[in-house]
Amino acid sequence: MIGFLTRRAGAAVAVLLILTAVVFVLQQYSPGDPVKAYLGANASPAAVAAERVTLHLDDPLVSRYGHYLSAAARGDLGTSYRTHRKVTADLGAFLPATFELVVVAFLFALLLGAVFAMLRTIAGTFVRGVLLVGATAPPFLLALGGIILFYAHLGWLPATGRGGNDDGFLLTHSLVTGDWAQFGDGLQHVVLPALVLAVAPAVSIGRILRASLQQTLSADHVRTARAKGLTEVAVFGRHVLRNSIGPGLSMAGLQLGFMFAGVVVVEQIFSWPGIGNYLAESIPAADYPAIAGVTVVLGAVYIVTNTVVDMIQALADPRIAL
Amino acid sequence: MKLLRFGAAALVALTIAACDGKTNEAQVNPAPTDGVLTVGLLGDIGQPPDPDIYYANNGLAIVLNTYEGLVQYEDNIDTVKIAPRLATSWEVSADKKVYTFHLRSGVKFHDGTAFTSDAVKVSLQRRTDVKGGAAYMTAGVQSVDTSDPATAVVTLKEGNAAFLDYLASPFGPKMISPSALAANKGSDDAQTYLTTHDIGSGPYTLAAVQTGTKYELTQFDGYWGTKSPFTKVELPVYNDSSALELAFDKGDVSAIVAALPSSDLKKYETSAAVNSYLLPTLQSALVTLNPSGTFFKTAEARLAFLQSLDREKLIPQVLGDRSELATTLYAKGMIPDGADKQEINYKPEVLKAYAATLPAGTTMTIGYATGNPNAQQLATIVAAQMATLNIKATAQGYPTAQVFDWVNDPAKGPDAFFDGNNGPDGGNPYMWGHVFWDKSGGINYFGCDDPSVDADLNKAVLTGDNALFVSAATKYASSGCYLNFSYNKDWVVAQKWLTGVAESHNIGANELNFAKLGIA
Repeated sequence: MIGFLTRRAGAAVAVLLILTAVVFVLQQYSPGDPVKAYLGANASPAAVAAERVTLHLDDPLVSRYGHYLSAAARGDLGTSYRTHRKVTADLGAFLPATFELVVVAFLFALLLGAVFAMLRTIAGTFVRGVLLVGATAPPFLLALGGIILFYAHLGWLPATGRGGNDDGFLLTHSLVTGDWAQFGDGLQHVVLPALVLAVAPAVSIGRILRASLQQTLSADHVRTARAKGLTEVAVFGRHVLRNSIGPGLSMAGLQLGFMFAGVVVVEQIFSWPGIGNYLAESIPAADYPAIAGVTVVLGAVYIVTNTVVDMIQALADPRIAL
Repeated sequence: MKLLRFGAAALVALTIAACDGKTNEAQVNPAPTDGVLTVGLLGDIGQPPDPDIYYANNGLAIVLNTYEGLVQYEDNIDTVKIAPRLATSWEVSADKKVYTFHLRSGVKFHDGTAFTSDAVKVSLQRRTDVKGGAAYMTAGVQSVDTSDPATAVVTLKEGNAAFLDYLASPFGPKMISPSALAANKGSDDAQTYLTTHDIGSGPYTLAAVQTGTKYELTQFDGYWGTKSPFTKVELPVYNDSSALELAFDKGDVSAIVAALPSSDLKKYETSAAVNSYLLPTLQSALVTLNPSGTFFKTAEARLAFLQSLDREKLIPQVLGDRSELATTLYAKGMIPDGADKQEINYKPEVLKAYAATLPAGTTMTIGYATGNPNAQQLATIVAAQMATLNIKATAQGYPTAQVFDWVNDPAKGPDAFFDGNNGPDGGNPYMWGHVFWDKSGGINYFGCDDPSVDADLNKAVLTGDNALFVSAATKYASSGCYLNFSYNKDWVVAQKWLTGVAESHNIGANELNFAKLGIA
């Protein structure tokens, strides 16, 4: 286990170095002047030139990258050209919202994926149909349709924002402190964006799990278990699910990583104050410190997620060695 | 898969169709009973609401309701006129070097500090020290005499006829509390502190900042002026104009200021359920041509293109009632007698004759800033019209950061650029000419420059000589690099119960003074 974690940590450092290097190279060769975002549209060329010197934007690429890495090692990811705040402070403010959104969406995806895979009734067929249709719609269309239906028409759910006044771990905090009004408000706000984010991953997880279940159900050991007179619930729980869950878990881990990367569109439309929204606003302004910061975070999340999934898979299936 | 995609599209279309009828019903929403005014923002404000940093439009409402300047532009008139704010009156020396302001008494900052001439000195100095985009406004200040707490005497290094406009500009220096600044100065002149707090004297204080989601203002009990019935103002951020409109239609948003696309104008202008206001501004739609590109190397080519634009048709078609044909080179009414007449009239035959001399396959790129639907539509229509002249034109969107990079290498820019809405920092002709025509201004995208124009502008600003301003404009117009396409208005939609909208707006601000709003 220690060897596995050490190897993964080494790989994580290498991946993050490559990702940040790519962002710096893009910054060097992309058209666009970030200083206008920093100073404002009407700022004069003289003011822009002076600020470029202050921000070290005219320094050679290697020198800037070196400074970035050196500062990053001390926990400083630079200052956002747009918000004028430390990128670490911005990430600290925006990451909890994304984290909670993705966690809720992941729970929805697991639940809907399980329904997709296991429910063999007319209701199951209906859910499968709705999920398949939803998964093929572009997320922005699904989001707008959801807002029109659940906010404008039915009035059941809010259209945008996160609710409450806590811009940290709102749901977690209100749950722990027993602030049920805040928790309810936060939950109402998260349902729609989380569902939009969950639909496509639910189908991917459900499909893999369903195929795996079908394969296991026709295996010899299952026939033997049934022949021994075990109930269907016992056969499914002890002999089918545990042997089939590996591919589903693997896909779930993959989808969790994709969800973090895929929050950009959903957070934009629902004005969700997370890193996806932060990234979407940073890109047109060429706010490279912010873009690099989000890239580092997303890269790290992706690596950690996959590591955790590998560990869970090993726990679920003793045949898998780390 | 095709069937599924069709099913998905059909499901969403049915949802929209099923709901559409209900959401479009003319339904007058009730006024709030909790004292909360909700003004929807389209997109985040982009920069911290620090008066010496903030140099964009979307968040100006926050700055202008939490801070005040010495003067402002007069509300609810369609001409440029300086009006009192924290200064009740002022005198300007004949050489435009010494400005004496008599300060309003009884004004307190949000931290309780009394407003005196010391605050004027500190505020102007911070603007210079912070070196934000609008620091040029105080760069010419030589000294501020504070010997009389009720009078501030500002002496400039040289005469500047635009100085009062600098102070009246929504981006101009705002008065800040010296004691609050000292207490929160830190190592960055309180820049970090002012990302989430304010130290102004305006009718509202900045109560909460949730970047990208919501900003909240609360009424300042100690405000010297009129107070509105709104004890709290919420400014939620919507990243999608459809979502913002839905919230407005439902009554969750009280007003939207200059944020919706012109294509929605008719819907609200004809609705009996809401009020739609078209309010005067100094903004225009502009066309800028690139002399470094292949197509517009000569003034002849540039002027031929500008004459090919059928503005009388394009303006109503794309911009609607919020715009009218621009007939002057500066903003509407900036030169009092209209002597800055723009002599570009629709003559498509000029470009047709010019195009006939071009080699076959000549191409042209017409740019617009991404996220500006009006400019995109204009560029697309004009590009299509070029095809009738055998010119292969393409409309292309560019991110804002890229647009502002062209000045460093104009050859990388498109041949022409359509700007849906842009304007100067204030109402003085120098602020228009310098920013759009001078290479050292901020929005001369392609660096199209005529040193004699710059010289005229720099001379005119010393004295305010309108004849020189007109001379600069006429010379620049002959370059063919620029067209004042249309005068634009601020389009505000508000719930029926909201009063005082026009009275709370002025030509320079493009925002509302929330203290002047009320409930019918």
